[in-house]
Amino acid sequence: MIQVEHYLVVSAALFSLGVLGILTRRNAVNVLMGIELVLNSANINLVAFSRYGEGNLSGQLFAVFVIVIAAAEVAVALAIVLTLYRLRRSPNLDEADILKG
Amino acid sequence: MSEVVVSLNRFLPELALVGGLLLVVLVDAFRPPKRDAVNHALTVATLLAALVLAARQDASPGYIFAGMLAVDPMAVFFKVLLLAASLLVALMFTFRNSRELFGLGQGEFYVLLLAVTLSNLLLAAASDLAMLYLALEMVSLTSYVMVAYLKGDRLSNEASLKYILFGAVSTGSMLYGLSLLYGMTGTTSLPAIREFLAAGLTDANRGAVYLIALFVFAGFGFKTAAVPFHFWCPDVYQGAPTPVTAFLSVAPKAAGFAIMARFFFEGLATGGAGAWDLAGTINWQAMLMLVSVLTMTVGNVAALTQTNMKRLLAYSSIAHAGYIMMGVVALSENGARALMIYLLAYVVMNLGAFLVVTLVHAHEGTFDLRDYPGLYRRAPFLTLAMGVFLLSLMGIPPLVGFMGKLYVFAAIMEKGREFWWYAVVGALNAAIAAYYYFRVLKTMVIDAGNEEKPVIRLAVADAAWLAVLVAANVLPLLWWSHIEGWAATSLSRFAGR
Repeated sequence: MIQVEHYLVVSAALFSLGVLGILTRRNAVNVLMGIELVLNSANINLVAFSRYGEGNLSGQLFAVFVIVIAAAEVAVALAIVLTLYRLRRSPNLDEADILKG
Repeated sequence: MSEVVVSLNRFLPELALVGGLLLVVLVDAFRPPKRDAVNHALTVATLLAALVLAARQDASPGYIFAGMLAVDPMAVFFKVLLLAASLLVALMFTFRNSRELFGLGQGEFYVLLLAVTLSNLLLAAASDLAMLYLALEMVSLTSYVMVAYLKGDRLSNEASLKYILFGAVSTGSMLYGLSLLYGMTGTTSLPAIREFLAAGLTDANRGAVYLIALFVFAGFGFKTAAVPFHFWCPDVYQGAPTPVTAFLSVAPKAAGFAIMARFFFEGLATGGAGAWDLAGTINWQAMLMLVSVLTMTVGNVAALTQTNMKRLLAYSSIAHAGYIMMGVVALSENGARALMIYLLAYVVMNLGAFLVVTLVHAHEGTFDLRDYPGLYRRAPFLTLAMGVFLLSLMGIPPLVGFMGKLYVFAAIMEKGREFWWYAVVGALNAAIAAYYYFRVLKTMVIDAGNEEKPVIRLAVADAAWLAVLVAANVLPLLWWSHIEGWAATSLSRFAGR
């Protein structure tokens, strides 16, 4: 029997992997992949609770909105990463270090 | 269907913004002659129309769009505040008095400004977890693009990169917390969540609410630049074009505090006699107090050694977020009123300071404090205005910044003797802040330097806006009963509970 805890463990693992990706990856696009993992882990949570918890559709509705936002966020993020590449010829984030202090 | 029509009738300011936004997009696409002037006029007209509609809005408490948005006096107060802030930014910072933005295309800027204003209004009124996340992300996304507006500038690009990466992690964590909150309570509507939590929690659920609080606070802390989610703030404020920085320092921050107050007061608190007890018996107050103390201290201490004016004002904004959070910690009607008054004062103080920084950059080409000596001789009115804004930020009476600080300290101190140490910490921080505010003023007035440089002649419009903001800092004391009355009636929704 698959119960809600299984989904929660999977989403917690995805959240952790996503945050790990964001914190440790050097290439900007890999960091964006991490961001996607984080957002989708919350989606799994929402849909699992919608199925196993109260049984209403609010979770699924919320998840649809999150998918829309994730797409918009990645569009904006990729535009900024593209500008980064155009200005510095490199997608590496650790080279963006002018602003400090 | 009729519910949608009824809701739309109470949604007029936002509809005005949507209409104006689409008009500006169309005008920009068809490229008529003088389209920049037309776009500017359209934006100002839209914001003005939305402001009038919001001020005349029927503020009887209620929910629209099936509980997604709340319409009540507090929401209307914040809508007016946010629209006024956007209107001031659109009027004061033309593309002609900002050296960074000079010559760039203006259409997209105005579209983004209208879009972020719309999202701010939605955020201030959000009453459902889905609406909260949607509005928060919409504010963030439009802000990211505004910060990245200078396409060829490395500073702007780096600032927007740091902003979006930091923001994505924070709001992603907040979303994870919101999903857990939905799972625990079975509903995404804030009032229903409050009822669920008020019914009592088991020990396991109490631990879960603690965890959710930490996650959700990541999102709120990011938006309001509270410690430990403030790291993006100095870099973004420094790298973004200064008009965008001025806007970011007031509007999204005010919207962030509005939703923080609404989330804690409406989603988690049960009303009492003029005070709120947070359901779930989690010690939110201790957590918020700790965050607030850290925010004030980190902001003020880090600003002491700054020489870049935009970074200095960024750390100063972080410190002010700490003071504003004192109003949330007070968890009372007086606390919420203090929060609103402080935000009103903060808008006029901060916009004034950033306008001065923009004008100095436009005339001198520098943001560095070490190039500011001699401005008293060269631009006396500018220095006078900056003096007023700095004294207001410091909290010197009879300026409006003092009234803000007075209310937050009073709200904290009347909670009882065990909160007095917290007010003392706030006062000490205000004293520390006086150092760097006075240092700016001293550099402008007393320091010798730049003797060979000519007198700065301000444009009439710029001088006029400086005068308006100086008046906005000095005069409110004369009509104080009206302002306080307005903030008090905006709370009548919560006092009724």
